[in-house]
Amino acid sequence: MLTGLIIVGLLMAAGFALHRRGYAGYAPAPAGLAILHRGEAAFVDAVAEVLFPAGGGLALSGIDAQLPHSIDRHLVALPWRQRAQIRLLLGAVEHITLVLPSEEPGGRGRFSSLSAASRIALLDRLSRHRFGLLRLLMTALRSVFVLGYLGHPANLHGLSLAPFEIELGVSEAELLFPRVGGLVSSIAFGPEDLNVAEYREPLRPDGERHRAYARTAATQTGRAKR
Amino acid sequence: MSALSTDWIEPARDRVRVFAQYDHAFEEKADVVVVGSGPSGAVAAFELAAAGHDVILLEEGPPFTVRDFELDGNLSMTRTMREGGLRMTRGTTMPTMQAVALGGGSLVNSAICVRPPDSVFDRWATRYDLERTDRAHLDPHFDAIADFLGIAPTPEEVQGPRNLLFRDGCDQMGVSSEPISRNVKGCRGSGECFTGCRSRAKQSMDVSYVPAALRAGARVFTSVQVQEIRRSGRRVTGVSGQVVAPFTHGAAKGRSHRFRIEAKAVVLAAGCTATPVLLQHSDDLANASGQVGENLQFHPGVAIAGVFPEAVQPQFGATQGYQSLAFLDEGFKLETLWAPPPLLALRFPGLGEELQARFAELPNMAIFDAIASANRSLGRVRKRFRSLEPVLEWQLHPDDVAILRRSLHVIAQIFFAAGARKILPGVSGIPHELTNIEDAAVLDSSAVKVGNLVMGGNHVFCTTRMHGDPTRGVVDEDGRCHDLENLYIADTGIFPQCPSVNPMFTGMALARRQAIALSERL
Ligand SMILES: Cc1cc2nc3c(=O)[nH]c(=O)nc-3n(C[C@H](O)[C@H](O)[C@H](O)COP(=O)(O)OP(=O)(O)OC[C@H]3O[C@@H](n4cnc5c(N)ncnc54)[C@H](O)[C@@H]3O)c2cc1C
Ligand code: SF4
Repeated sequence: MLTGLIIVGLLMAAGFALHRRGYAGYAPAPAGLAILHRGEAAFVDAVAEVLFPAGGGLALSGIDAQLPHSIDRHLVALPWRQRAQIRLLLGAVEHITLVLPSEEPGGRGRFSSLSAASRIALLDRLSRHRFGLLRLLMTALRSVFVLGYLGHPANLHGLSLAPFEIELGVSEAELLFPRVGGLVSSIAFGPEDLNVAEYREPLRPDGERHRAYARTAATQTGRAKR
Repeated sequence: MSALSTDWIEPARDRVRVFAQYDHAFEEKADVVVVGSGPSGAVAAFELAAAGHDVILLEEGPPFTVRDFELDGNLSMTRTMREGGLRMTRGTTMPTMQAVALGGGSLVNSAICVRPPDSVFDRWATRYDLERTDRAHLDPHFDAIADFLGIAPTPEEVQGPRNLLFRDGCDQMGVSSEPISRNVKGCRGSGECFTGCRSRAKQSMDVSYVPAALRAGARVFTSVQVQEIRRSGRRVTGVSGQVVAPFTHGAAKGRSHRFRIEAKAVVLAAGCTATPVLLQHSDDLANASGQVGENLQFHPGVAIAGVFPEAVQPQFGATQGYQSLAFLDEGFKLETLWAPPPLLALRFPGLGEELQARFAELPNMAIFDAIASANRSLGRVRKRFRSLEPVLEWQLHPDDVAILRRSLHVIAQIFFAAGARKILPGVSGIPHELTNIEDAAVLDSSAVKVGNLVMGGNHVFCTTRMHGDPTRGVVDEDGRCHDLENLYIADTGIFPQCPSVNPMFTGMALARRQAIALSERL
């Protein structure tokens, strides 16, 4: 009986500790996330803030680029296995302080609870670590963030690297196949719409960039400046 | 504007099936069923239909129309690539991408079409007992495909500075180089082949051979995943599988109606990583030689970013417009490269402001890459438990590391000869930036180790290799499985060794030849 009570007590204490470490004390997640929970969103912002600081020469900082949202969109689109791997990766680095504590007081706390200086120092340590596995962890983490950050329309537009504004081609494929998810009866094009040709005028290197990128750049950069 | 008659379009539409249409299980019959609509399968389907046979072309992915292309490179990969674009080899870790879409890899590739040199075919002939697989026998097939797809060298006006800097660097060094021949018509130089050509200039299979096959009477069923090849004795009787929703990565959930196709012959063109898994799932079919899934080879690729003093405007220009074949004998081919910038930036070193400063240099950058003929680096494809996704085991051979080192060094030399201010080699363990030719010598040294190389391998071969000896290969020179009378394989898996140049054109030429041979036997 007593042993049973002790085991239940220990399990409860372990559950409590795990809950505190994994879930408690995070600010609510920003609205509109489909997958990331509040702890993951906080971790993403904590990395973004130091990996892509404000004033780093691009249109938006890591925080302004709202990486929890872009990473969330990426996760939604991935197969379950890759989605689980990326979430594990986020969780692993959030709690890596348990094995690689930061030097500041409370250095075994969650990554997202550390000061900015300790966070970037820890990321730097990971990227140079003698264990290949830890370097690999950092490479993977960095990739997830770079894709979201540099892929933000405002950042690409600011670097003149947004896709061109292009007149969409209408080929035989557009006459034969519906848009993904549609029925063949929904095909909107007929032979009179065909516009592909053996020769088309090349784009200009400084030609107009995709309007949606320009629009997002205008609104987001304006918001970030305010 | 198309001057040709379009009367065929309406009846051809009736022969297309897309996901939204499937509302019950179904069975069909045909002369030939072709599994996979990539370059090899699409050519085979067209040739067979044009010869008057009743053909069904099956494709797991959906058709993408021009409005379905996703411009964000990251999201685009999740929709067009297997495993969301995050597929990796085990052993030596290397990302590798295979498409899942009508048109297969041709939808997202750079349209590079190169015929392998005689030396490649000579090697194939002597080591793999092949008698008719040489340029003399294959040139008529290459020619027919080149005519059909309008394959031609990339014109100067769509090269853009990024590609021409490569030419200039090669000229300075006295290294031969040339515009890349591509299957495009009316390229505008948008540099976005990877996310799908919005101008529809690229003659990917969904705009070229698949419509031609439909026009010739073929039926094209998309969003169908073949799961089994059915067999009776020494003959196959058809295939069966399930409907899969677009972008669900093969998870046959929800509307998962089953289907079965009976056919006089089956052509597997599911791609080098999928075909062996299908055979393994079908009771280890066609594997008396024990070679199904073995001999996996890649062209591992490495790339360097070069930063120039003035803006290069790299977003403009054919995605891959220039190449050099001067080092094929040493085991590598050089090319220019562009892709969505966030994907290119994955290899940039540094953190924080240092990393952002590198992003800010992108407008002044060009990327040159090398693909290696790594035919000593071998691996295998294995099926996963209850899944058609493969496990890819592969190991980079030390001799091939030497080829990659040397190629990195040559690229560095070309960059500096072209006037680059510095280069980012993207190799860990050596300086992040190199600013002169002397320092670049480190690239061809033992400082560059397997684990430090950042590679990618999108050219995949040999997992169902062609061999004149039935005990040592899976198919004969006509692509027919040695073990079965009417099962054919037509994808890059049948290459006996890596082709040293980009594989799509060779895959199509072999597919055309075997479709003609099969047609005569039907
Ligand atoms: C980003 C990228 C760029 C490239 N650039 C070039 C280039 O410029 N030039 C070049 O020569 N090569 C290039 N390649 C390689 C080239 O695209 C491939 O070698 C070529 O597509 C192989 O053709 P394939 O017909 O053998 O197979 P795939 O193109 O892979 O086609 C196989 C098809 O079968 C379908 N399939 C698979 N399993 C099933 C199933 N169970 N049921 C139904 N359908 C199934 C797949 O969805 C796919 O559409 C590139 C590859 C990539 C990924
Ligand atoms: S460079 Fe642009 S226009 Fe040319 S084929 Fe590629 S995507 Fe199409």
